[in-house]
Amino acid sequence: MPIIVNLDVVMAKRKMSSGELAEKIDINQANLSILKTGKAKAIRFSTLEAICKALECQPGDILEFRE
Amino acid sequence: MWSGRKSISLSKFCVLVFAVMLIGTVLSAPWLIRWFRPDLAEKKALFLSTIYSGSIPAAILLYCLYRLLHQIELEQVFITENVAYLRRISWCCFAGSVICLASIPYYFPWCFVAVAAAFMGLIVRVIKNVIAQAVELKNESELTI
Repeated sequence: MPIIVNLDVVMAKRKMSSGELAEKIDINQANLSILKTGKAKAIRFSTLEAICKALECQPGDILEFRE
Repeated sequence: MWSGRKSISLSKFCVLVFAVMLIGTVLSAPWLIRWFRPDLAEKKALFLSTIYSGSIPAAILLYCLYRLLHQIELEQVFITENVAYLRRISWCCFAGSVICLASIPYYFPWCFVAVAAAFMGLIVRVIKNVIAQAVELKNESELTI
């Protein structure tokens, strides 16, 4: 898929662990792992909003389009 | 009280009844033919070949149907395995139809069985397409975070 999820990069920059982020955005670690590894087929706006709030970033920092 | 679980159990029981009937038909085929049409005794070998060859797809079909019901009982409905079972059931119906078609020259009424089997195969095929689409949708929704 040409949409790349850079969640792990942003998390590393903010020095936030998976467990901490999962707790903050209220999703389980398994789903967060699916998102981080790029296996997810879609992301809800509500999840994206929660991630952006927790990591203090923009959606564009997390998602990237690469041909 | 009637429930979904009991309904599946009833369906499984019906499949088993059909399996017993199939075994009974295969075992008693020579006598059945003699009883059904004593006037066609000279075509006994042809009837036997139709019944025996038709019993193979019928047995596979019943096995797939039983496995499918077992998966539904385990609440595993929209999975690729079930799509494969439905595909096999559909092909078994078509195989039965072809066998009956090939038997028309010696006994015309096989034509009605052939048409019914082909129609059944078509219906199962459409259901298979619907389930395959549902499996895709389910996988997609499961991977929506």
